Amino acid sequence: MKKKIGVYVCHCGGNISDYVDIEKVKDAVRDEADVFLVKNTLFACADSSQKMMEEDIKTQGLDAMVVASCSPKLHLNTFRGVAQRGGLNPYNYVQVNIREQDSWAHSDNPAGATEKAIQLVKAGIARAKESEALTSMKIATTNAVAVIGAGVGGMRTALGLADMGTEVYLIEKSFFVGGRTAQWGSVAPTNDRGDVLTAGLFNEIQKRSNIKLFTGAELIEKKGSVGNFDIKVKIRPRGFDGNATTDEIQKAVKACPVSTMDEFNFGLTQRTAILIPQKGQYPQQPAIDKALCNQCGACQKINSSFQPASTNEEILSLHIGGFVANTGFDPYEPAKGEYGYGEIDNVITLPQFKRLIELNDNELVFKGKKVKKIAYIYCVGSRQDDDEGKNKYCSRYCCTSATHTGVTVKNKYKDVLNYHFNRGIRTYGKAELIYGQASQQGDVFLQFTLDSIPQVERKHNKTYVKVKDILTAGKTIETDADLVVLVTGMVPRENVELGHLLKIPEGRDHFFNEIHMKLKPVETVIDGVMIAGTSQAPKNILETLNSSMAAAAKVNSVLTKGELSLEPTLAKVNPGACTWCGKCAEACPFDAIVQVDNEGKMVAKVNEANCKGCGMCTPVCPTDAIDLDGFTNAQIGAMIDALAEL
Amino acid sequence: MTDNQNAAATCLDETQFDVMVIGAGIAGAESALKLGDMGYKVLLVEKEPSIGGKMILLSKVFPTLDCAACITTPKVSETARHPNITIHTLTEVETIQRNSDRHFSVQLNKKPRYVVEKDCTGCQECENVCPVITKDQFQFNLTARKAVYIPFNIANPRIALIDIENCMLCGACEKACPSNCIDFTQKEQQLQITAKSVIVATGFKLFDPISIERYGYGRYKNVITSMQMERELAPTRPFNNVLRPSDGKIPDKIAYVFCTGSRDHTVGNPICSQVCCMYSTKQAQLLMGALPMADISLYYINIRAFGKGYNEFYLQAKDMGANYVKGKIGKITEKENGNLILRFEDILTGKVTEKEHDMVVLSVGLLANPAITKVFKGEKLELDPINYVQQPNMLQSPAQTSLEGVFVAGTATGPMDIPDTIMSAGAAATETSSYLKRLS
Amino acid sequence: MSTKPKILVFSTEKISDPAIDLAGLLKKHYPNTVYTISVPCSSGIKPRWIMQAYEKGFDGVFIAADGTDCPYGESCVEKTSAIISVTHDLMRQKGLKPSQLKMAALCSVCADAFVAHINNFTKELAKKDN
Ligand SMILES: Cc1cc2nc3c(=O)[nH]c(=O)nc-3n(C[C@H](O)[C@H](O)[C@H](O)COP(=O)(O)OP(=O)(O)OC[C@H]3O[C@@H](n4cnc5c(N)ncnc54)[C@H](O)[C@@H]3O)c2cc1C
Ligand SMILES: Cc1cc2nc3c(=O)[nH]c(=O)nc-3n(C[C@H](O)[C@H](O)[C@H](O)COP(=O)(O)OP(=O)(O)OC[C@H]3O[C@@H](n4cnc5c(N)ncnc54)[C@H](O)[C@@H]3O)c2cc1C
Ligand code: SF4
Ligand code: SF4
Ligand code: SF4
Ligand code: SF4
Repeated sequence: MKKKIGVYVCHCGGNISDYVDIEKVKDAVRDEADVFLVKNTLFACADSSQKMMEEDIKTQGLDAMVVASCSPKLHLNTFRGVAQRGGLNPYNYVQVNIREQDSWAHSDNPAGATEKAIQLVKAGIARAKESEALTSMKIATTNAVAVIGAGVGGMRTALGLADMGTEVYLIEKSFFVGGRTAQWGSVAPTNDRGDVLTAGLFNEIQKRSNIKLFTGAELIEKKGSVGNFDIKVKIRPRGFDGNATTDEIQKAVKACPVSTMDEFNFGLTQRTAILIPQKGQYPQQPAIDKALCNQCGACQKINSSFQPASTNEEILSLHIGGFVANTGFDPYEPAKGEYGYGEIDNVITLPQFKRLIELNDNELVFKGKKVKKIAYIYCVGSRQDDDEGKNKYCSRYCCTSATHTGVTVKNKYKDVLNYHFNRGIRTYGKAELIYGQASQQGDVFLQFTLDSIPQVERKHNKTYVKVKDILTAGKTIETDADLVVLVTGMVPRENVELGHLLKIPEGRDHFFNEIHMKLKPVETVIDGVMIAGTSQAPKNILETLNSSMAAAAKVNSVLTKGELSLEPTLAKVNPGACTWCGKCAEACPFDAIVQVDNEGKMVAKVNEANCKGCGMCTPVCPTDAIDLDGFTNAQIGAMIDALAEL
Repeated sequence: MTDNQNAAATCLDETQFDVMVIGAGIAGAESALKLGDMGYKVLLVEKEPSIGGKMILLSKVFPTLDCAACITTPKVSETARHPNITIHTLTEVETIQRNSDRHFSVQLNKKPRYVVEKDCTGCQECENVCPVITKDQFQFNLTARKAVYIPFNIANPRIALIDIENCMLCGACEKACPSNCIDFTQKEQQLQITAKSVIVATGFKLFDPISIERYGYGRYKNVITSMQMERELAPTRPFNNVLRPSDGKIPDKIAYVFCTGSRDHTVGNPICSQVCCMYSTKQAQLLMGALPMADISLYYINIRAFGKGYNEFYLQAKDMGANYVKGKIGKITEKENGNLILRFEDILTGKVTEKEHDMVVLSVGLLANPAITKVFKGEKLELDPINYVQQPNMLQSPAQTSLEGVFVAGTATGPMDIPDTIMSAGAAATETSSYLKRLS
Repeated sequence: MSTKPKILVFSTEKISDPAIDLAGLLKKHYPNTVYTISVPCSSGIKPRWIMQAYEKGFDGVFIAADGTDCPYGESCVEKTSAIISVTHDLMRQKGLKPSQLKMAALCSVCADAFVAHINNFTKELAKKDN
């Protein structure tokens, strides 16, 4: 309880005193218990007034201070500063708003405004009396970050962080970095090659001593909170250690008896159990696919660097300050029979088509047949109807990528014809120029709606696409096609465990969800855990890079100082009253309440690094065992009592 | 730290900065905040009297429909209060010249407010007495203001300035001001500073539809722009309802004309503006809330609802009853009662059709704001073919420009919405910090 | 003057309190018997505080909630409603009318909405008192 309170009532040059009778207010509060002095000021915020208050605190030994003036939004920090300079704890200062919420709001009623001012100041005094000194705790933090996923996004995050002085552990699940971009060949809008982009990023990463790259690696454990996480990373054996010549590697691949579809080429080709890095994938060292290897030892006989029997899994323990999840997306896999996929031979997806273009240099050939007429069907797996499990969202990248692909094939193979069956082309922004280019080169655009989607049929040994085209007033148009390309959308990668480990919520579209789309688009509700790139929502490369570097900026700005000052207004549990029902932990959106043993009794405890001081946990406690600093029962109760008087 | 709050600032050296950010829209504010948080000394230069750019003037924002003011003001005040950020409002960059030590010498021109910044309490007594009435540019001329004025309610800093061109020098404000802060002797100030790096966050310009004569903007009173509609819909709106300008009637048949000044070679802007489909859809939803009986028709070419939650937002507007018409507007004509006849080709039927509306909103596009290139002396800040700041390494380092040490953020690189702007600003912060680390 | 119903408003520091400030700034008047206590988030208001207000003589309590603009996340809406319903139960036990507790989501510039709500609430309470 504070016993020597200084009260200052401000005129605000007439803004307050024209309506509120300042003298009356002073008289009314002068005799309140524990009020030591009452003064008025013309402008409390003026330098001279601030100096006076500082002197008063020092010479009179005030133990709390109240200023009745304008809204705390304007000057709370100013006067907290005054309190501090005078030697008071800033949280023993209380601001009372008698301008915006009194003199101005009731400028039609000066007597009423004065009456209200008296009540408000008394409530402020009551609050000051109950106020406690709070100090913002500081915790030391580690300037190191785990970046999960090494596609373009993750690699860019890593480089950004490293160049700002943060240690990076880049953790990639597959045996190669590069992600999806390595697969695409020429990309919109710059016509850069995807593999060249990933090669460039990897080269830069190689030059940074403060990036440690782990491939074949996965996060398996996480403890702690922002600034200080302890994690464990599991590294699978690569099955290759040492050197081998290109020739030897080729021989080993030939010798391997296993055959399966090659996921890099989306099943257009086969591979063995030896994974060979493709253009744009790094490190350029083979690995053995343990799931398929039958331990025949054929590869090892060619070069002993191949170690199919190796089982030396490694578990690394790391101490870090934050995370960036850059885990990317998967292309939507159409259902069997969706537009003939899986049933009609020459129906493929856009990702497959992008690979086909890479595999065909001079002539576009699919399954031995030359391709001239290409029908693209858009929005496959995106913008679906409302049913459960369907994707309502637009996948954003695909209109641009498909029109760009149309332009690319026309340039590369000359004699192709592109038919785009779309639902309204969404080449937003500068990508509109690519749409213009496609139209100009003679591509045909036909538009359909969800009620009447194109029909893909096999007739007379040919594949036909038929549609009711809304651009020609609903005329039915049919064309044969050598290749039907399904422009498939993006879906989030299966990453249930990671989502669980890091406690990242999912949005309705099942991508990772940010805390606030505009204010904090790369942050999650868990402090220190960022999401970036296509793990958050569909994006193109440019947008992936921007969000990745934004995540880097955010996490670096938190960790770079080496210490974190925590909000001083935190929730506090009274262990005596707590019966650990868990309700508060459930209510806290920030995962800030943990269960601890308190002298043999399980009780709730607030993790200070996570608590944001919202107070959501306080009303749900059945035994009223949680209070929020600055808004305790004692303080709010005293204010209510003071306001109710009269 | 705003310029009216510089008590603590005097002890800092106010002429040497790590970064100068040009433009204090949401892009500039976000880059400044991130760099300030990293510990760099940032100078934020804004030519307008308030920071916050276009966003602070918007109504609600798609696709979440949160109130723009509610989400802008906290960012803006955090910027203003930040100990590492110095803000100069009403200030323009005159020249930027690279020195031999690779730092930039910058000449700034700070316009006078004629109000002593640190003393003004924002009480508006001066506004009450000023006899001059002139158009309010922050309400996009929908309403009037005084010659001495606070730009808008949530302006930051929220202090008065005098529009000296319209002032009659009557002195009434001087007498009325309780804190004696009117000062007619203020002059333009030339400030000389140095910065180790620069971020260009100068944003976009709005397309002025006056050049598309067939839409009648400027001639027909009830043809307004989407930005004017933003103001009519904002919680801080000038009227208490949505009104049409000709007679103050509450409109009940409102049309939107998409792609006004975008995707249009004839006006020299071939690209899509990326935000207008969505902001029109947002306005349609807000209008249906405010005027439940109104008919809202949106004339579009394609709907670009591509971002997270955007397609869902568009479907929601359709479900609420917004009438999307695929059709290009040929011409608008005005009837005697102020109503407007839209002539368009209805793509679905293939027929040329006419429809009457009592108010038309032009969904104006975004244009590049390239003037900033002129201030660089001795070297050239390259622009792309449509006049946005060029990103020579777009798919590797999107915030880089043609000049070393000069980075770019937000809509200065091309049209984009707020979430993309925030991310681009974050990228610029990363790039700038990396550069500064290399320099030292 | 003090026959006017007394209302305690719980506002939130970042969202609804600025709206109440703005009402004053724009000199939009409302009864002077309306007092505001500001807290970080409307879902941190304890039912016992509300009950204490009635006990000590307030006629009505108004919660100026954050709604979906809440800086602490969207769960705020649901949680604030839960607090209201718990309090309604307590109020019934004490013989108070549920209509003495009102809630509305206010954005940071919803000054008009605040004044309209408060004026209506005052009128309603005054009617019931007679
Ligand atoms: C057919 C097609 C064409 C495209 N064309 C273009 C184009 O022309 N222009 C353009 O700009 N964009 C294009 N894109 C989009 C582009 O591919 C993406 O924007 C980009 O790849 C996203 O990068 P990312 O890092 O977010 O994700 P990804 O590339 O998916 O990388 C994610 C990485 O994270 C790893 N990972 C996942 N989970 C874990 C885990 N739990 N632990 C560790 N590692 C994990 C993955 O193995 C992968 O390496 C195209 C996309 C498709 C499908
Ligand atoms: C009608 C309309 C509605 C919109 N609605 C939405 C919406 O609902 N949701 C959404 O996500 N997006 C919306 N947007 C888009 C949004 O406005 C932009 O994404 C955002 O404002 C871009 O911010 P910025 O900082 O890049 O640019 P700006 O807001 O343009 O800021 C640039 C700043 O730089 C200053 N400046 C310029 N040149 C100089 C110079 N030479 N010296 C000093 N300062 C300078 C300007 O004064 C300005 O303050 C809308 C846009 C419009 C037009
Ligand atoms: S970007 Fe185009 S193809 Fe992709 S989902 Fe959206 S509308 Fe469909
Ligand atoms: S105050 Fe908020 S953030 Fe802190 S523990 Fe309680 S609910 Fe969690
Ligand atoms: S001096 Fe100018 S600004 Fe001041 S009241 Fe007169 S006209 Fe208005
Ligand atoms: S966003 Fe929509 S209205 Fe704007 S230019 Fe693009 S297509 Fe036209």
